[in-house]
Amino acid sequence: MKPTTLDSYRTWATTPLEGPPHYSVVIPAYNEAERILPTIGAIAAQVSLLGEPWELIVADDGSTDETVSLVQDLGLANLHVLVADRNRGKGSAVRRGVLAARGQIILFADADQSTPIEQFQALEAQLLNGADVVVGSRAAAGSDVANKSMSRKIFSTGLSVIVRGVFRIPVADTQCGFKMFTADAARKLFRRQLIDEFSFDLEILYLARKFGMSTEEVPVSWIDAPGSKVDAAKVAIEFLRDLSIIRWNDICGRYEADNHELPPSIGTPQQTLATSSQTRGSTS
Amino acid sequence: MNIETLTLDATDDGPAAVELQIEGRFDAHEIELFRTAVDTKLDSGHNHIRIELSAVEFVDSSALAELVRGMKRCREDGGDLVLASPSDPVRVILELTKLDAAFVID
Repeated sequence: MKPTTLDSYRTWATTPLEGPPHYSVVIPAYNEAERILPTIGAIAAQVSLLGEPWELIVADDGSTDETVSLVQDLGLANLHVLVADRNRGKGSAVRRGVLAARGQIILFADADQSTPIEQFQALEAQLLNGADVVVGSRAAAGSDVANKSMSRKIFSTGLSVIVRGVFRIPVADTQCGFKMFTADAARKLFRRQLIDEFSFDLEILYLARKFGMSTEEVPVSWIDAPGSKVDAAKVAIEFLRDLSIIRWNDICGRYEADNHELPPSIGTPQQTLATSSQTRGSTS
Repeated sequence: MNIETLTLDATDDGPAAVELQIEGRFDAHEIELFRTAVDTKLDSGHNHIRIELSAVEFVDSSALAELVRGMKRCREDGGDLVLASPSDPVRVILELTKLDAAFVID
């Protein structure tokens, strides 16, 4: 008899994996104490049902609320918490999580569950078809976007025009917090990543194009979660700055070699890894 | 792919009991609708409310808080708010937040 979602979840929650996981899901988290438990629950229920060994990594970004203790206290056997000593930006948190991941397929997903985890398999299907990187997209045909503010719509449209026109990246939505990678692609991209803030997505996609990786977009449902920490105006300014930084980094050859070491292996559940800056290059 | 929005379908089940059926994603965007439905039923004398959750895919923290608020109001009125047939994801979320111990789950 096929195990139920609850059976699969409870096995995952109580039994440490004996070998490497097939899937790794990374949630970057900065002061997410209010929102993260339901997101962990939704992800755990959905991914456990897929029938493959998997791990969940919460990559803290120097939270000053109870995010870390809340997640650690769950006591889930295959949940790992990476603790940062200070806030560096979402790009830093995602990088630490992705580089610590041991799965063959790695997803990072925002802590607010604005892209429902049920779309995991749609992205995985593209990886199985040969893609190296699959991007959840709110702009691709077939996507469904709810409650998105006007400022974010304007920002997204402007961003898309610049990204396609200036960078020639064939992705309509670079910023959706729901992206999947093969392990090899993830390690190559995130070890070279230099941007720690919001624009890291763009840098990753820029690097994927530079290295000739196959990048696919999959339309997703997306719900603007209340309490979003994205300030569209502030982000727009940072984005324009980072556009030139990425180009300059490339001209200077800063993407030709790894900029980050692989972290120590996650060996034990609920492992806490204090982090320090591992950046060899510079973003400015 | 369509996003299913939360809908409420109330069914009277006796003079003091009522069931609210919820579908889709139950999050902060939907709590006003939910609160109005619960308060309307309480104000009309229904202090036993069953919340049918089998078709709910996700509840966020604000929705959980709203469920707790509804439960408290029902209990203050001598009744209860019961969570009926929660979907597996919702059951996991209730367990992780330890709210499974606070509610009567049917």
